[in-house]
Amino acid sequence: MELFDTATVLTRVLTSGVVMSIEKSDRELPGLERLLSKQTGRAKAVLVNSRSAAVHTALAGQGIGHGDAINRPGLGEKDRAFLAWLGIELREDAAEGEPVAFDHIALDAENAHRLGELAAASTAPALVVDLTGLGFGPAAAVLTDDPVQWARGERLKIFGAYDLRTMWTQEEESADLVPGVQFNYRLSPLVAACVRMALGQAKRPLTTSGAAS
Amino acid sequence: MITDFPSRPLPLPNADELAAELAAFGGDAIIPKDLRRTLFPVITKEDVFNLMLAQRSTPQKVVDGFAEAYRQYVGAGYALPTASGTSSLHLALVGAGVQPGDEVIVPAFTFIATAQAVVAAHAVPVFVDIDPRTYCMDPQAAAAAITERTRAIMPVHVHGLPADVPALRALADRHGIALVEDASHAHSAKIGEQVAGSFGDAAGQSLMADKNFPLGGEGGIAFFATAEAHGRAADYLERHGIDYGMSWVAAAFGTSQLARLPHYDEIRARNAELLGRALDGTGLFHAPHVPEGHTHAYNMYRITLTPDAVGLDDLPVWAVKEAVHELLVAEGVPAREWQNTPIPCHLPFQHRDGFGNGYPFTLNPGAVRDHRPEDFPVTQGMLDSTLVLCRELRAPVEYERALRYADAFAKVARRPDAIRKLVEAGDYRRPYEKAARLG
Repeated sequence: MELFDTATVLTRVLTSGVVMSIEKSDRELPGLERLLSKQTGRAKAVLVNSRSAAVHTALAGQGIGHGDAINRPGLGEKDRAFLAWLGIELREDAAEGEPVAFDHIALDAENAHRLGELAAASTAPALVVDLTGLGFGPAAAVLTDDPVQWARGERLKIFGAYDLRTMWTQEEESADLVPGVQFNYRLSPLVAACVRMALGQAKRPLTTSGAAS
Repeated sequence: MITDFPSRPLPLPNADELAAELAAFGGDAIIPKDLRRTLFPVITKEDVFNLMLAQRSTPQKVVDGFAEAYRQYVGAGYALPTASGTSSLHLALVGAGVQPGDEVIVPAFTFIATAQAVVAAHAVPVFVDIDPRTYCMDPQAAAAAITERTRAIMPVHVHGLPADVPALRALADRHGIALVEDASHAHSAKIGEQVAGSFGDAAGQSLMADKNFPLGGEGGIAFFATAEAHGRAADYLERHGIDYGMSWVAAAFGTSQLARLPHYDEIRARNAELLGRALDGTGLFHAPHVPEGHTHAYNMYRITLTPDAVGLDDLPVWAVKEAVHELLVAEGVPAREWQNTPIPCHLPFQHRDGFGNGYPFTLNPGAVRDHRPEDFPVTQGMLDSTLVLCRELRAPVEYERALRYADAFAKVARRPDAIRKLVEAGDYRRPYEKAARLG
């Protein structure tokens, strides 16, 4: 994204006065959720503040926690370490073709235009999209079609609340969805606004013509 | 363009309004409906320009520059910038040497993140009651809760008032355990000239945009007294693949806000003093207690009710509080309960599923209790008898707004008849009988 565009987005959000994720009138986080849902073809998005937060959200959303085992081949050392910290075991005996717990896409300026295509290739119940590579700091999302998984994910990231806008005063009606351990995995609206513009502007890079080669 | 610039200024106070009918009974509100929005954080051209400049730097430089500037302001030894207050508390505990299954003593009255950070560190929170005047951890209650498995005491500088650090420090030293501060409400709060965040072996602090010192959305910072503690926390992140990094966008906004923090602190202190004097003149309401030598940051302003002072001693204090709450909100002062039950009575500490299958509570079953609100009588009494102003006074509001808040409390206090009428007609419940709320 051009520096001018980033500057414009940041100035626009600062002028609105709304830079808090728990502000009732925030429009940036819902805007990014809608864009990610549209581009990935998934019904629901949970925005979080890092890749490891997204992995945690993807698993907790499915009710997977300490003492459980999952199938997810091909994870790097960092993700494996994080799963061990969560107390989740990686199954080594999974048969080929067995469903995986989550898929993972890391976006940057080079591949952001391919989000739809990459998401279409994903078959896992949860899709982790790491947005950190877009350049606005740690940011990620979990995309899913499962409303229960989404509801659990939202509650994990905001201390058991289910709606950022009413989190201080809401009363819980679905106690079974409240996670045992709860974090603040909330994403800044300023970061969300920049990510949204970067994704909205992402275009296929120009290819060199045959004549030039 | 969407802007937060106010549509019109708030009218100056008018003494005649105090004698008018209460807004809840059809009179005019002290603060008209269209003028109730409190702007926070205050965003200026410096914030905008600083964000523009930050684009020309590297993200790491922006975050490191912010963390170092704020570390110096606080006077802490070492700092780790984080994505949130919870993650900073988690790292403070880890840096202080807390290990899986250890017990960490926390107050029963705080935001839930204090206790959840202990669980994040794979340790077990042990809840104790608070002091009846400061609402911070009671050192005697903490002393009574220490066992062989206690690794740390984590007081919270509740609402911005530093806890009794000298007593807690002595207690921790006596038992060879760590003192870890939750300074999330206490930006610029002091004991003497020492700033909160620099008292303990480690500290965590939220810097989300609704705190006295706001970053651009979400953020936090962990402080450590020694290089060893700092190294332990940094290594922990690396070893476990945890991303707790702060965004450069949040940090850049914080850098310019930090330059103006003392200015806003001064306005908060001025407004708190103004309101406190007015409250103490009402009989019904009382300002927060601030011990000698302590500087309160007033992230929140908790007001105590004494119904007997206005002839309402035959009514339950919690019912009087609910009625007053209704009357104040109608006058345009959005007072709140901010917590309605002790933290150990929230679902995660009743069910204790933790990360799943009861971990880490299963590591130390002896530390686990099935608590009820009455286990914490001081907390319960405070929740029954107090109301809180949050952003309404945290923001450096205009002088005329602070005066109007004072007028609204005075107007309500003049009408014990109206309070009695509401209590007798209302179907009020004690705070803890309602579902546990975050704030």
